[in-house]
Amino acid sequence: MQTIDLLFAGFASAFQIGAFLTVVVGLLVGVIAGALPGISFVNAMAMALPFTYAMNVTHAMLFLGGIYVGGVFGGSISAIMINVPGTPASLPATWDGYAMTKKGQVKRALTIAVTASAVGGLASALMLTFLSAPFAKFAMKFSQPEFFAATVLGLVSVIAIAKDKPIITMISLLSGMAIGTVGVDPLYGQARFSFGIPEVESGIRFVVVMIGLFAIGEVVDLVATDRDLRPKKADGKMAGASFRDIWNVKGAIARGTGLGCMIGVIPGAGATPGAVIAYGVEKQINPRGKEFGTGVEAGLAAPEAAKNATTGAAMVPLLTLGIPGSAATAIMLAAMMLQGVNPGPLLFIMDPSMVYTIFAAMIIANVLMIGAGVGVAQMFSTLMRTPPAILAGFIVILSLIGAYGVRNNIFDVHVCLIFGVIGWAMKRVGFPSAPMVLGVILGPLAERYFLTAVANSRQDYTVFFTRPISATILFLALIFVLWSLWPSVRSRIKRQPA
Amino acid sequence: MAMVEKARDDRASWRDAEPKHVAAQGGRGKAMARLIPVAVPAMLLVAALVLPAFMFTGDRRPDVPGLGPAAWPNVVLLLLGVFSSIWLAIEVWGLVKWRVSTSLSAPHDEDVYHYGKALVGIGLVIAFGWLLPYVGFAIACAGFLLIWCLYGGLRNPFVLVLVPTLGTIALLWMFMGLALMPLSRGVGIFDQFSVALLQLLGIY
Repeated sequence: MQTIDLLFAGFASAFQIGAFLTVVVGLLVGVIAGALPGISFVNAMAMALPFTYAMNVTHAMLFLGGIYVGGVFGGSISAIMINVPGTPASLPATWDGYAMTKKGQVKRALTIAVTASAVGGLASALMLTFLSAPFAKFAMKFSQPEFFAATVLGLVSVIAIAKDKPIITMISLLSGMAIGTVGVDPLYGQARFSFGIPEVESGIRFVVVMIGLFAIGEVVDLVATDRDLRPKKADGKMAGASFRDIWNVKGAIARGTGLGCMIGVIPGAGATPGAVIAYGVEKQINPRGKEFGTGVEAGLAAPEAAKNATTGAAMVPLLTLGIPGSAATAIMLAAMMLQGVNPGPLLFIMDPSMVYTIFAAMIIANVLMIGAGVGVAQMFSTLMRTPPAILAGFIVILSLIGAYGVRNNIFDVHVCLIFGVIGWAMKRVGFPSAPMVLGVILGPLAERYFLTAVANSRQDYTVFFTRPISATILFLALIFVLWSLWPSVRSRIKRQPA
Repeated sequence: MAMVEKARDDRASWRDAEPKHVAAQGGRGKAMARLIPVAVPAMLLVAALVLPAFMFTGDRRPDVPGLGPAAWPNVVLLLLGVFSSIWLAIEVWGLVKWRVSTSLSAPHDEDVYHYGKALVGIGLVIAFGWLLPYVGFAIACAGFLLIWCLYGGLRNPFVLVLVPTLGTIALLWMFMGLALMPLSRGVGIFDQFSVALLQLLGIY
């Protein structure tokens, strides 16, 4: 009952003109950025970060939440219309969505996609609303060993990002963790790897690393590939989907939503694995599975529902434990921390009004997304005519302002540039950058929790295994590693005799 | 699962095929493409072995209770060294046996990738970031946008004047006017110019 009351209060706050406009603007920015190939919603969120400095923390979260929800869907607009996924998570939308466009069913495909995304996102936002508080209450029982175990679960689950490259993924993660050790350590106050440079002593901020790795390389690629972003004309009818069409794919939407909600909660997973797994599962389950890839509605609906269902789910560990599960939620964490707010179980007691305003805004954003998605799809062809050079130039400037704004320090801009070059090189050789970012974020957290847990237990290293919650989470982490590595190991074993 | 198999086949065929930029670069490009997957883990291994010696600069407190500040970085670097060794071994094995990288594969979403253009782009971005504190945000931003538009192939004088001018004014208003961010005004004469410009725009 208390949750309902708090949610209504959250709706009242979210419907105030300033907050509502912030969500709407964020949503539109997200849909547009997501729809433009080369600018993923993560890049858009990183670029939007400096704008949040002038906002209060609630508005900052509403703005970023709007971009997140809109951006995850927006990538499917270009995927369906021009066969270029705006974001990696929209890749499955090209398989059946673009096939529908080629059949002259572009409007129908977009209607199914936006409806499935909205349903998935809405279910996920409701899950966030009603499960976060009990989860936070449970998290109140957590002490340092449990937080360490949860961070370890987050660290090992990045293996799921690149299952076929476990060694490289681990190296990327460990490199990020090594970068995270730069600066003053959390317990003893001694500077490490500072090489006598005063600015380095205060550490390397993960926001700066993230902007460099994600934005700069992407921009350079946008110009270096001479990508033609202009949409090609789709011939044929422009009939939209009827209610019956949507009703016919209800099973696919429900399955996609369920999978997305489950996958989204896992730190390190996110929208891309959610969408790809949902497509694979739907292909196995659906009676028309063998026709997938030729423009089957269920093949479009399931991944669309799944990827938006990860948005609210990914915020559960962020708000209840302070552990970001993806790059997008990491940016949200950065926005909160820059405003002096530390997410975690105490947030639900200290500032429930802000938490429930965020929940209400996530629900509103998913409902508004239907209108925003259709509207942006209409004006998409005009947007895509913006020369990539102009887009890229502004992205560079906004990215560097974002890096500068972290501490109002030019040193961070230089660090961002270094990671920009590294990120571009990593992208060119196929070295995954997402695990590195999560390593920079989660590494220092893991170190702090580990050292304080060991210090509090008088150097007893078994503390992580003797406490039931901590031991269970670590066991889950082990299971997760084995489950993630098993397909790769099995395929290697199979290939060995040949 | 068929989808996963298809993805595997696609990747395998991609690995078998020679990337266009490598083919275009000839023997030297091929040698580089083969060298990079071995050089990266080798460099990481060396870094993991060497970095612990450079962890602390200057005075280090001799006796600290518990594990000490070096424990966590040492474990991370040790693991990095172990995984880098495994990767290096796999790469060397792949190079000797199949003459290809078994771990790294360049993205195959583009048909043509202009490496020269990419390097010029990176140079421009670095130059922008480096010049920012000296010439100030306004001049650096306008100059960068102008050069970037030219670099991106835009030649319309109308666009080349409007985009940097209006773009810079909009950004100055957003960040220095509304968000009150203390963006660099430059040094010396550039500082004076920036102050005059900000006064003209009504931001100061």
